[in-house]
Amino acid sequence: MLKYCLKRIMRACISLIIIIAVVFCLLRLMPIDSYFPNLDDMTEIQLYNAKEKLGLNDPVPVQLGKFYTQLLHGDLGVSTRYRVDYPITKILAKKAPISIKFGLLAMVISLPLGLLLGVLMSRNRNGIIDRIGTGYVVLMQAVPAAVYYLMLQIYGSNWTGLNILYNASVPSSIILPVVSLALPSIAWYAMWLRRYMVDEENRDYIRMARAKGVPERAIGFNHVFRNAIVPLIHGIPSSLLLTISGSIYVESLYSIPGMGGLLVEVIKMQDNSMVQALVIVYAALGIIGLLLGDILMAVVDPRISLTKKEGAR
Amino acid sequence: MDNKVILSIQDLNIKFTLRGQTLHAIRGVSLDLYDGECLAIVGESGSGKSVLVKSCMGLLDKNGFIDSGSIIYDGNDLAVNKKSKDWEKIRGGQIAMVMQDPMTSLNPLKSIGWQIGESLKYHQNLTGEAAKNKVLEMLADVGIDDPKRRYGQYPHEFSGGMRQRVAIAIAIACNPRILVCDEPTTALDVTIQAQILELVKGLQKKYHLTTIYITHDLGVVANVADRVAVMYAGDIVEIGTCREIFFEPKHPYTWALLSSLPQIATAGEKLYSIHGTPPNLFMPVRGDAFAPRNPYALDIDFLYRPPYFEVSPTHKARTWLLDPRAPKIEPPEVLKEIRNLKALGGDWGEE
Repeated sequence: MLKYCLKRIMRACISLIIIIAVVFCLLRLMPIDSYFPNLDDMTEIQLYNAKEKLGLNDPVPVQLGKFYTQLLHGDLGVSTRYRVDYPITKILAKKAPISIKFGLLAMVISLPLGLLLGVLMSRNRNGIIDRIGTGYVVLMQAVPAAVYYLMLQIYGSNWTGLNILYNASVPSSIILPVVSLALPSIAWYAMWLRRYMVDEENRDYIRMARAKGVPERAIGFNHVFRNAIVPLIHGIPSSLLLTISGSIYVESLYSIPGMGGLLVEVIKMQDNSMVQALVIVYAALGIIGLLLGDILMAVVDPRISLTKKEGAR
Repeated sequence: MDNKVILSIQDLNIKFTLRGQTLHAIRGVSLDLYDGECLAIVGESGSGKSVLVKSCMGLLDKNGFIDSGSIIYDGNDLAVNKKSKDWEKIRGGQIAMVMQDPMTSLNPLKSIGWQIGESLKYHQNLTGEAAKNKVLEMLADVGIDDPKRRYGQYPHEFSGGMRQRVAIAIAIACNPRILVCDEPTTALDVTIQAQILELVKGLQKKYHLTTIYITHDLGVVANVADRVAVMYAGDIVEIGTCREIFFEPKHPYTWALLSSLPQIATAGEKLYSIHGTPPNLFMPVRGDAFAPRNPYALDIDFLYRPPYFEVSPTHKARTWLLDPRAPKIEPPEVLKEIRNLKALGGDWGEE
């Protein structure tokens, strides 16, 4: 078990180091003017000095080395255009919690509801609940999010009198955006859980459990649900961590000052150091999410912890 | 073997609805199971052997249903059981089952101990330390070394034969009266097969189990069975003691089945196989279901379904050939060789 975890952690670190190098080098290929808003007015000397200040005159490997040490100290550099000379970590510290709050709330709602819906759908397969649930899943998957997000915003605020935009001082104004975020996730969880549970239903060991005289309810929980949840568990840490990246669409609809559109915005502004920092942060979260997912899988699935062959004969 | 009937199936008809059509899977089967005996049900794939046994445990697939007939167990008719609640007491507690493929019949995410303990929990209300002791005892009973260590292990840590032993432990954990073995050795290595059969034989004696083997391996039948029922197209065409079926078979289908044993084939010749295919059970079957494939078929076989003709008190067959008016037809010569077969491994001693 420990060996398995260490192996995964090692692999995660290596991928992260490689990703940072690739992102860093790619952004060195960008035109230099993105660092200096007033490039056209600068003299040669001024430009040289400015570059010197940012360490851009060093060879790329040296710059990369410096960047790694910087990162180890928790420093993502400073923004060059988004907010000139302002530390990126401070920008993130302000924006990320807002996105995380919405994301977590949405997840707290969608995970239990989605799992419940999935269980109900698989338990009365081809019944009325299953049909309604499938209809909902198809709707969420097939209709562009824009359509139901907008309808929810317009009719939701009309009928319930909730704020049409997010307002930090009005707590109830978080309801509509959270519901918007939760709707597609519920469909996602329900769809996969139903699918895995239907798969499990047809397994020999379910028939065996039935032949043992185990009550249907206990079979449903101890065997079908227990085994069907395993593949879903793998994705949960990732979705949890990636709530930080926010949702572009929901955040712009409700004018939430979160992380949602940040990456697109800084790319448009050519704020290279912000782009670099955000891409690295998201990549790191993705990798950590997968890592936690793998470890969680090993906890719930006894087959995985066995890297050594013992007693198999 | 005493002659108390423990399970009695009477004129059972089972149908399945498939794509709007009705499949008549079991066509009027009657069968008495005697206490303590070992009955083997043989027949080709699709002959209904599994369906017949599953219906006794309420394990038919959702589209299958008992159309008519009764299954009398302990004075109750199981055929009228509707809810799964009614079955839960029967399954595992009274009638238990060992499935075909041990690689898939255990839950990969639960420890062996948990899986054996699970049935104890529901049938005997055993939990905690008492259940664990019982599980350890069962594990030792089915020949698993070091049960204490094995208790907490998972199915993937066991070999195929060991898993089948665990499956048997699960089946007999609650002292059932009837043990159904649905092709218990088909998925196993030949060397392991004999061990498993021996194990079941031993447990049968120890726990006074009545056993039903479902198989198409006649070698297994010769090894374990007291009585043999031959099924064809959802019907028992011949039933008798092991000796009677092997040495004095009366039904042309049984002849054909025995003739196709590889053990009695002559080297260099093609193995015997039965021509044609089993009848389509979506259609009503007229006359003897085996008639179209039967080289000895009489005209009447195509018109009327034969009744059972009694050959001896323990032996009966559904074929017009046994009618006093029928022409005398001798079974194929090759069947005589079965008597000389040591290879079947059966106990052919005088009774």
